Amino acid sequence: MATDIPSDLEAKAEIMREFMRLRAAGKPVPPELYAKHVNATNDNYKTGPAAGERIPEFALPDQYGARRSLGNLSGPKGLLLVFHRSADW
Amino acid sequence: MENSRALLEDNGVRIAAASYDSEAVLRKFSDEHRIGYALLSDSDSSVIRSFKILNTNIAPGMRSYGVPHPVGYLVSSGGVVLKKYFVPNYQHRVTGSEVALLELGVRTSGGGERLTSGPLTVEVVLSSDRAFAGQELGVRAAFELEPGWHLYGQPVPPGCSPVAIRFESASVIEQSFEFPRPRLAKLGTLDGTLPVYEGKFEALGKLLLKFPIDAGGIELEGTLSFQLCSDTVCEAPDSLKFTLSVVIEPFMVPRPRR
Repeated sequence: MATDIPSDLEAKAEIMREFMRLRAAGKPVPPELYAKHVNATNDNYKTGPAAGERIPEFALPDQYGARRSLGNLSGPKGLLLVFHRSADW
Repeated sequence: MENSRALLEDNGVRIAAASYDSEAVLRKFSDEHRIGYALLSDSDSSVIRSFKILNTNIAPGMRSYGVPHPVGYLVSSGGVVLKKYFVPNYQHRVTGSEVALLELGVRTSGGGERLTSGPLTVEVVLSSDRAFAGQELGVRAAFELEPGWHLYGQPVPPGCSPVAIRFESASVIEQSFEFPRPRLAKLGTLDGTLPVYEGKFEALGKLLLKFPIDAGGIELEGTLSFQLCSDTVCEAPDSLKFTLSVVIEPFMVPRPRR
């Protein structure tokens, strides 16, 4: 599926812009373009700490402005911490 | 994720989601969607960088510059990664129901089928009864053998058939199954040992659905292959077909910003 990914950033950006142009215009995005967009944006993905490794310490504000870190987020059996793109777009 | 939060929290695992959005954006999203878990604002992507998951495909200046690769971590309360999840399609993260089924052994909404063959019973269950194209689904197969019977693990010599599960459905583009470590048993008059499973055990798997798939109900066909042996007889290698149903949600592109 991920065979036709351009390697340079500008070509990737063009796929993303085309995707965003259609979306902003309220036009349907063809599934092929959508797939290209997903591939271009996820190419060479890195997934961070491996199983068995420790995650870096962090302290970030939550949606209510409270400072949150692993200690006050985790349940007794752990935490499912998910990184995602944006809640805005 | 909000939908399966209770499944996880009842089992001692809490949820948090991190993005590069501002607190205000997260607050709005949280209010609109009634989110009951923490949304973390990494507005300068510094934590995303410290995890080494910054998406470097995005040219500086684009709106999405600074986003992470979509990774989910199940970590212990001490911060050690127990499992890591990455789904190539960024609109779909690991689902709470998948974690609940695979990591916590919780019964989820997914369809299942019970297979039997003589002394063997297997229940194959999906993590959810609904999914998007491009999403990952969890599968759990719970095996139970009557006393005196065993199945083969791997590796086995030619002529013996190890237990395996494979989905043939064209909607499944990647799959993996993990079986527990088999016991090495000395059987009958055989020289040496063979890897076997006895009693109750579980195999856990992941399926990656292809993209796109038309919305509506689909059937995921699979095959369980095995060879039943007792201390005295070995039956011929055998297989059982099964079909698990899942409803594919309509293809959605996020609505444009007003």
